Amino acid sequence: MRKNIYYSLLLSALVTVSVAEETRQVDKHEHGVGELNIAVEGNSIDLEFMIPGADVVGFEYKAKSEADIALVKDALIKFDEFNNIFSIPSASNCILVEADISINQGDNHKDEHNHDEHDDHDEHEDEHDHDDHDEHEDEHDHDDHGEHDDHGEHDDHDEHDEEAHNEFVAHYSFNCGNIKEIDRISFPYFTTFPNSGELEVQFVSEIGSTSFEVEGDEPFIDLKGKI
Amino acid sequence: MLLKLSFSSLYARLVTVGMTILAISVSLMLYMSVEKLRTSAYTSFTDTISQTDLIVGARASSVQLLLYSVFRIGNATNNITWESYLDLVSKEEVDWTVPISLGDSHKGFRVMGTNKEFFSRYKYRGSQSVSIDKGYLFEDLYDVVLGAGVAEKLGYKIGTSLVVSHGLQSFSDHDDQPFRVSGILKKTGTPVDNTVIVSLAAIEAIHVDWSTGAKIPGQLTPIDEIREMDLTPKNITAALVGVKSKLTIFQLQRWINEYPEEAMTAILPGAALQELWRVVGVIENLLLGISVVVIFTTLVGMAAIMFSSLSERRREMAIWRAMGASPFTVIGLLMLEAIFISILSITFSVVLLFCVLNLLQPWIDYNYGILVNIEMLAIKDMYVFAVFIIASITVSLLPAIRAYWFSINDGMTIKL
Repeated sequence: MRKNIYYSLLLSALVTVSVAEETRQVDKHEHGVGELNIAVEGNSIDLEFMIPGADVVGFEYKAKSEADIALVKDALIKFDEFNNIFSIPSASNCILVEADISINQGDNHKDEHNHDEHDDHDEHEDEHDHDDHDEHEDEHDHDDHGEHDDHGEHDDHDEHDEEAHNEFVAHYSFNCGNIKEIDRISFPYFTTFPNSGELEVQFVSEIGSTSFEVEGDEPFIDLKGKI
Repeated sequence: MLLKLSFSSLYARLVTVGMTILAISVSLMLYMSVEKLRTSAYTSFTDTISQTDLIVGARASSVQLLLYSVFRIGNATNNITWESYLDLVSKEEVDWTVPISLGDSHKGFRVMGTNKEFFSRYKYRGSQSVSIDKGYLFEDLYDVVLGAGVAEKLGYKIGTSLVVSHGLQSFSDHDDQPFRVSGILKKTGTPVDNTVIVSLAAIEAIHVDWSTGAKIPGQLTPIDEIREMDLTPKNITAALVGVKSKLTIFQLQRWINEYPEEAMTAILPGAALQELWRVVGVIENLLLGISVVVIFTTLVGMAAIMFSSLSERRREMAIWRAMGASPFTVIGLLMLEAIFISILSITFSVVLLFCVLNLLQPWIDYNYGILVNIEMLAIKDMYVFAVFIIASITVSLLPAIRAYWFSINDGMTIKL
């Protein structure tokens, strides 16, 4: 339901703007709702997580204090080890062939963060982020910073136009010896990140597509007969 | 012996027992038909579209887009421009696309503009495709192909001429450009049955003299002139998309959702359907809950009837005891009675269910497009029956214990 409200807000915003020459649009962003896309074809299974920063580290501004930077770094390390996020039945003999973890700075002027670009990041993920942080740490005035601390609850997003909404994007590709054995995927994600809310899952295979809503009390999806 | 006794005792109270059985059967039937409708509606919905990877339309909620593009329920928020559609077609991930254009109607049936590829690409119930029953697919600009339901309900044949109305409530007709039925499709059990299908060019052609939803007064382009015109559509309502590799679906979906020039939404049909079902599921559970309560009520009713019959049967029991029946036999007799009643009720309810389903199936299919599958009972039903029998035995224990008490106290010296 809440999603509908978001859509309609988005829609009304778009209608008013569409008169202008340049179209402006903003991606939806909902705290407590992470997205996961799973695609299966042949022997390959791809999982792609898009998790709001609030769900992972509890805040969404650019990490500036040492503690915050450490949190982000820690989160990225956790994403690196996929067993922290999800688990696939071992009988399926799936081997990770590619993983790609990054932070998407989805501020108002959405930067073109296409997936092809991510490939480059693979190696220097950590450095990359840190460069970023260091730079900004000095630049940003600290008044601003103080203000953010009050926003633990973040109800009014609209007022923080200049503020970024961080999103963790993690993409994992597997090659499986026996892909039909995948009858369930469970998500240690919910215990790894205590701030996490629900996961909206879109799933597609040659058999068809479906969707799931996963929450911490039942942290798995049932894929029997779906692959 | 015990069986025979219990049976004849029941037979002696035919009317009361009959009413009890009727009440229980009706409630069991209610439960089973809710369950049947629920599963049929689900399969009927999920079977409606298969092998289409994405549905693309103007920005809307995924459920809304699914409902208007596939099920012809509700309306499109907006159309998408032909330019955006061409952009989509040129994406390398895309294997095939079928544009569809909705918005007009004929006698309450939706008119859909599309191209011939629709008939080969649109799949339902796994991999079944739409096939022609009589005639041929549209060759001429003013040819129209009818879904089986439309032809049947309106009594149209090949060659019948018809006029498309503008919009969904027919205030004005496109009567200057009549169509001719060129083909009738085989029944599919999907919303295609209730659709009037024309070519995209035809949708464009009938709107030549129209501007912002009304006929331009006095303007009537001759049909010959229209045939000469470039009838490439300016916009479409939605597009069905197939991708080359499933692994690229989400990439393409994101590209469409973030397409800067136009606000569009791409959905995975199965995923959107599941989302819809999560909403419907609440109502489903409510219905199921109600029928469970109804069953429970009738069980309590059965116990009540047994209780009240106990006082009138005190003499009967006293005679049983005099004939040498132990108090436990009396308990056994009453429990047997409950088992009899429940087994008879179950049998009767199944008969009732099949009668009702057979009677209602055509009506439900006609009005809601849901084909209720009348098949033998599932294993799940057997579980329900087993639980029901156990529950009725449990319920009958109370009057049985009471009867046991009576039979000990009363002995032969019964004073009523």
